[in-house]
Amino acid sequence: MVTLKNIDFGYTRKQHLFTELDLDLEPGRIYGLLGRNGAGKTSLLKIIAGLVFVRNGQLSVLGCDPQKRIPASLEAICLIPEEYQVPAIRIDRYIKLNSSFYTRFDHEKMAWLLNEFDLKPEHKLSELSYGQKKKFLIAFGLSTCARLLLMDEPTNGLDIPSKSQFRRVIAASLSDEQSVLISTHQVRDLEALIDPIMIIDEGSIIFQKSLQEISDSLSFETIPEIKENQQPLYYEEGLGGYAAIVPNREGKQTRLDMELLFNGVISNAKGINESFKL
Amino acid sequence: MKAHNILNITRLYYLIRRHIFSNGKAWLIAYGAISGTLLVITLFRGYFQPADIGGLRSLYFVVMYISGYIFTAGIYGELHQPQRSYQYLTLPVSNAERLLSAWLITAFVFPIVALLTMAIIVFIGNLVMNLTLDITPFKGIFTAGVWSSVKVYIITQSMFLLGAAYFRGYNFLKTVLALFVVVTSIQIVAGLTGWILFGFQQDAPIEFGPQHMSQQMENLFLNILPVAARVVFNYLFVPFFLITTYFSLKERQV
Repeated sequence: MVTLKNIDFGYTRKQHLFTELDLDLEPGRIYGLLGRNGAGKTSLLKIIAGLVFVRNGQLSVLGCDPQKRIPASLEAICLIPEEYQVPAIRIDRYIKLNSSFYTRFDHEKMAWLLNEFDLKPEHKLSELSYGQKKKFLIAFGLSTCARLLLMDEPTNGLDIPSKSQFRRVIAASLSDEQSVLISTHQVRDLEALIDPIMIIDEGSIIFQKSLQEISDSLSFETIPEIKENQQPLYYEEGLGGYAAIVPNREGKQTRLDMELLFNGVISNAKGINESFKL
Repeated sequence: MKAHNILNITRLYYLIRRHIFSNGKAWLIAYGAISGTLLVITLFRGYFQPADIGGLRSLYFVVMYISGYIFTAGIYGELHQPQRSYQYLTLPVSNAERLLSAWLITAFVFPIVALLTMAIIVFIGNLVMNLTLDITPFKGIFTAGVWSSVKVYIITQSMFLLGAAYFRGYNFLKTVLALFVVVTSIQIVAGLTGWILFGFQQDAPIEFGPQHMSQQMENLFLNILPVAARVVFNYLFVPFFLITTYFSLKERQV
């Protein structure tokens, strides 16, 4: 669905945000893209959407080069950015003006999503709160029936009920041929939704595994003390001991702690990736 | 690339409609303010100087040119707002459609609306003057020169369309500045060329007329160059700026 090979990218000539970045996304998945501030999560989404151009490398998104901005491929990709500005028009007018460009736009789904998100067609977009605007854009994006949805921090600005609403509508409205790439810092908001997990750091994807692979190979445990001969792959001191990531040699079923995994991968990517080869 | 992905009339219509309705409110306010001011000026002129309306025609066209250039320079406003540009650039339309929609609105819809507005203002002016003073002062305000002015507007506005796509913010002012720089540079080059050719005759004034030219030179300056300049202005100017605007849109990133 999305193939990026040897991508070199930077905003200035001297800057190299990505060097020889490779990425493969398959249909029917909800990918979680995690990374530190400035790691290039938003830039990666922009590259896939064709909003910025790479210096070198091969890009294929749904069989097309997104940099050419061909209408047929643009129709199959929908980007919901973190920061956005909406025109000062009513919701129904926005839908009328913009849905015509998407031949597969599902008006029934749009009506259902507006209802789910407590938005009325007569609401003026510019008068909505930040979270309501975001919900509207999510609803519109899902209704385009785009095969690839790119979401940048979709739960930022959503209140607590809206976050669960978001998870519900995403899970309910995606088909097998669609994929979602969600860039987020709010791992706890989305840990029940995303699979596989990708972690980007220092210009490349340093970790990309499915939840099944992670739970098969890693165990997330709380251990009372760290012994010298049993060093975990990563650990953090917490209440009642140490939250640790250890190789799962005994096939234990433990609850995946995404925040711990993220911190572990950032500080010991090599060790954690090697434990998958065991 | 399939033709459908380059230009589709239905998508072009949707894009023009989106342009107009997304910005309609701001455009209507500007339109109301300008046409209202022109109407007031027209009525005053009709009342105080009913016999001299030539200046009014010039005023209408100066206003049409300036407002048209400003309007054209702002047509890609969505592209220059970082939080809105993503919407415009990810909209499933081709770059040719992005170009044509903006060009059709600014080069054709705008002058049609401007001419209709002038006609309405003249009509209202005549009506009011006729009812109050029993005179009809605004006759013959639309002469054959009107079409020539509209043609020149359509040709010259293409420069501002390029400025609208190329510059990020303050598009009108930056385009005017760019034009000033280009024109000044051409004048400097022409002046330097003249100085190199004739500057050594410091005591005598520079004289350069048909009598100083050979037959071929005279033919070049009096017949070929004016025709070439007309051809360039009438037929090549707009395509050049439209193509440059197209590539500017094609290469645009957020």
